Amino acid sequence: MSGGAGAAERTGGGMAPAAGEVPAIAREDRAAGRDQAQAAARTGNDPEAADASGGLDRSLFRYIWRHSKRDQILICGVVLASLPLYFASLDLPRRIVNEAIQGHAFEKGNETTKFLVLRLQMPDWFGHDVALFPGFDVDRFELLFGLSSMFLLLVLINGVFKYWINVAKGALGERMLRRLRFQLFALIMRFSPEALRQTKASEVATIIRDEVEPIGGFIGDAYILPAFLGTQAATAMAFILLQNVWLGLLAAGVVGVQFVVIPRLRRELLRLGRQRQLASRRLAGRVGEVVDGIAAVHSNGAEAWERAEIGHRLGGLFDLRLRIYRRKFMVKFLNNLLAQMTPFLFYCIGGYFALKGQLSIGQLVAVIAAYRDLPPPLKELIDWDQQRLDVQVKYEQVLQQFLPDRLIGLDAPGRDESLCGRLAAEGVGVQEPHGPVLANVSLTLALPAVVGIVSDGGPAASTFARVLARRVVPTSGRITLEDHDLSEWSGAALTRRIAYAGVDPILFPGSLRDNIVYGLNRRPPETAAIDAKVLAEAHRTGNPVEPFPADWTDYAQAGVADAAALDALILDWLTRIGMGEEVYRFGLLGQVDPERHPELAARLIEARTAFRERLAAEGHAHLVEPFDPARYNRQATVAENLLFGVPTTSALTGRAMAEHPVVRLVLDRTELADDLITMGERIAATMLEIFRGLPSGHPLFEQFSFLSADELPEYEAILARRTATEASAERHGGSALNRIRRRWIGLGRYGSADATRLIALPLAYIEPRHRLGLIDDAFRDRVVEARTQLRTALDEAGMGGVDFYDPDQVCAAAPLRDNLLFGRINQSVADAVETVTATGTALVQEMQLAPAITRVGLDHQVGPEGRFLSSVQRAVVSLVRALIRRPDLLVLDGALSPMGENRARTVLGLLLERFGRENSLVVVLPNDRLADRFELVLRAAGTQIHGPERPAGPAASPADAPAGAGAAGPAAAVSGRAEDETGPESARVEQDVKA
Amino acid sequence: MTLETEVQSLRQVPMFREVDPARLKLLAFTSERVHFADGQRFFDRGDAADAAYLILEGEAAVTLDGPQGPIRLALLGANALVGEMGILADQPRSATVTAVVPTTALRIDRRVFLELLSQFPQIAIAVMRELAHRLEMTNQQLAQMRTG
Repeated sequence: MSGGAGAAERTGGGMAPAAGEVPAIAREDRAAGRDQAQAAARTGNDPEAADASGGLDRSLFRYIWRHSKRDQILICGVVLASLPLYFASLDLPRRIVNEAIQGHAFEKGNETTKFLVLRLQMPDWFGHDVALFPGFDVDRFELLFGLSSMFLLLVLINGVFKYWINVAKGALGERMLRRLRFQLFALIMRFSPEALRQTKASEVATIIRDEVEPIGGFIGDAYILPAFLGTQAATAMAFILLQNVWLGLLAAGVVGVQFVVIPRLRRELLRLGRQRQLASRRLAGRVGEVVDGIAAVHSNGAEAWERAEIGHRLGGLFDLRLRIYRRKFMVKFLNNLLAQMTPFLFYCIGGYFALKGQLSIGQLVAVIAAYRDLPPPLKELIDWDQQRLDVQVKYEQVLQQFLPDRLIGLDAPGRDESLCGRLAAEGVGVQEPHGPVLANVSLTLALPAVVGIVSDGGPAASTFARVLARRVVPTSGRITLEDHDLSEWSGAALTRRIAYAGVDPILFPGSLRDNIVYGLNRRPPETAAIDAKVLAEAHRTGNPVEPFPADWTDYAQAGVADAAALDALILDWLTRIGMGEEVYRFGLLGQVDPERHPELAARLIEARTAFRERLAAEGHAHLVEPFDPARYNRQATVAENLLFGVPTTSALTGRAMAEHPVVRLVLDRTELADDLITMGERIAATMLEIFRGLPSGHPLFEQFSFLSADELPEYEAILARRTATEASAERHGGSALNRIRRRWIGLGRYGSADATRLIALPLAYIEPRHRLGLIDDAFRDRVVEARTQLRTALDEAGMGGVDFYDPDQVCAAAPLRDNLLFGRINQSVADAVETVTATGTALVQEMQLAPAITRVGLDHQVGPEGRFLSSVQRAVVSLVRALIRRPDLLVLDGALSPMGENRARTVLGLLLERFGRENSLVVVLPNDRLADRFELVLRAAGTQIHGPERPAGPAASPADAPAGAGAAGPAAAVSGRAEDETGPESARVEQDVKA
Repeated sequence: MTLETEVQSLRQVPMFREVDPARLKLLAFTSERVHFADGQRFFDRGDAADAAYLILEGEAAVTLDGPQGPIRLALLGANALVGEMGILADQPRSATVTAVVPTTALRIDRRVFLELLSQFPQIAIAVMRELAHRLEMTNQQLAQMRTG
């Protein structure tokens, strides 16, 4: 369905305006049209890229040429254009010496000569003298300064050329790198199941990230560098030859030697480099494996073995690198030697010619200057050649991973009809490496239906389910729907119409919502405006042109109008499946962004007041101490009282606050620093006293101590230092002058590091909880005072980092629950938490906040691979993800098993209500217990699937009573028949279902 | 009231009399001070024994539910320790304890208490001594009842 429409729209569609604005992209703007977007996203939007190898040519140079010839030619053109000027800059020194300094221009007794006649002595082949301007009359000094200024001007112009060329080259290389990386990623999406089995994720990541990097760097230089440096060197060489043939030949000879010998020496380097690339890729793969399996490493105590293994690999890498270095620097040494030989010969032989009068001094100077310019381009050329070989090897090795035989075909346009009707398996077989899993399975099902596949403990049931879900392509036979092979459907259509939830849910880092709507991220938004520049770059690099980040959600597929309705749908499913309570709790701990949830934010402020009133009415006002900008909150820590807000940077979180420069400034200004140091001393001394003797790592440390076990000696030392300093202060008298002097020379009570360590301790102190008697009313008042100053100072510093408490605002950094409470529970009243929670719950009920709070719970982060969720929660997320897509066919292959039997039974009941009329449900069942709830039951036995049979149960229609009178007995009979005469039997079943 | 005063109270308890002050301070520091309103329950009979309580201020009644309403078994005042047998024996509460006036108590968490016992033999021995003492008292009472 996508091909024809896309072709018709090729010149039109969404891209046309952008293409008009940026003519440069018109050439590549062949793939357009929304319908092709999905195919384009897989292959890049370059139709040439859709060939068998996925757009990667066998030869790197052909690849580069195909995708960047226009840029390459443009840059080469500029390089060529810069050459005459470069030549002129070589020629000028000669003129300065000969004409101005030695006075050859004034030989015939002229006092003046013409300057700027635009008669740079070009060789004949380059054109004729152009006399556009008759020139100025200048004397010797003026000529000297004029020529010198011109030299400077040429240097500048050459510099500008070089700048432009370098930038253009860099951009070209980066564009090609972007294209290459994207194509590789797109190819990974097309890896065949076999290829995926052999692939290590971390190795492929290394290829895309690291290994193609030098290729990209090289691409910018691939054609331009030899063109640029080659012509430059050739110009210099031609210049030398023009001045003196012998010197020219001499230079050419040395260059020739360099060109022949050095590359030969470098071959070995390449071989080693290749080995190194493979070894380091394997290292990355191995590290990835160990990290993935770290639990197994720990539980088997294999740390030492793994360490040794990695150590061995690193040793091998070191060895390779060392060999590379040795060879590399030897080659460098030879290269330098040859390069330095030539000036020696020039001075020697050139000087000889000059003395003989066959070469003017000016010529000699110019030749030597020209020669000085010769080795760098040559050296770079040789480097380029080596890089070329190296990168070609790398490219080929990358290519090995992405050979066409490891890929599955591109998604071709095909049928897109709903999966209803007679579904037939015709001789379906699936062959695994260890033997057949399914052999010659033939049966028919009339869809829509709810079908249970009862497993016999082997893999057949699950494999057949995956065949139905198109997760596995049968090795023999076929699946047809109304006599059309399922492979006639387009891949995109099938993935939309079939949902599959397996036993291992795959979750991505992100929120619950992100994970659930993942299956709806199929419709690139059409309205979002994309920056024309961004779009042009995407076109030039074969990258997708769809807007991102943007809302890709296909609300229509979920059958809802907008995001709010979708959230409601998701929450409905989650609640039905029994995860509503948990999501509500996630919501209580979640953060409310007032921008995203303005309504909830307003209601939370309302609820705060109501909460307070309600507690007061119940006589529980004393259980919560509210945040009040003008009062010290006794139930909160000193740090929280100082900040009066929630830190959003780690620099203000926990002990780090003691090091924060603005905080320290305010503490010093308000003289709270001294109090905090004293408190810190008391805390440290108490902790030292009472926790001494507990073994380090004891749980009591974790739970109660201000200090961890390994900090005890450190704080002991800090306190000891103080005692020593104080003793010394006492001995040396205590006059004010003396004290100041001592402070200046660093003998204050504490060094600044010690002071910071001590200030860090009382930050977490809460008097009613810790009861060390450190805080009095005066201190509280001063903290409240410092609070205002700190806020002003932080605002002035403009660093942000705190979300301040405000009774009329939602604190976005604090959990929703804290925003509701807006205070701290008085922990020293028995059962305070329980009482306050009960009041809060009742309030939420009364104000009907629960749905909004639960919606916030959808923002809950699931962590890498969903590790922050329990396995049941992961299974629920995976199931809801499949459900909200409203597939024609939902296949559950062990997706319910993490939920436990009772919950699975409830969920199944829920699904059976919803499926069977318009959409089909196929469930793999571990045993017979739930089989009677299905309309049709298939039974796996060995490599066979028998059925369908109709169990006697609530689902069976009365008309069918004779066929399914007893679940077990007749079922066997039915399946026995079904095996032999699939056609008639299933046709009958089908009729029954329709009846 | 600070940690120091709680340590003083702990020292009044026979079980902790011999224990090193630093250890008592640790016990006090790792415990919570909680206030009970008049009539508020410490715990009910049959509840899981999750903590022992040292009454710092106020009074609490130990009661059992009888057919004619609660029967008061004892009235506990300042420095009385209650619920310690439950956390040692890991059995549900055998009686209900209720504050009869506004009361402040030190709540000694069961887990922390056992942790301290296993870590510091001195405390463990003090507890054993106290338990042995109580056993002996019970034996004597039994003997008196038999003879009497």
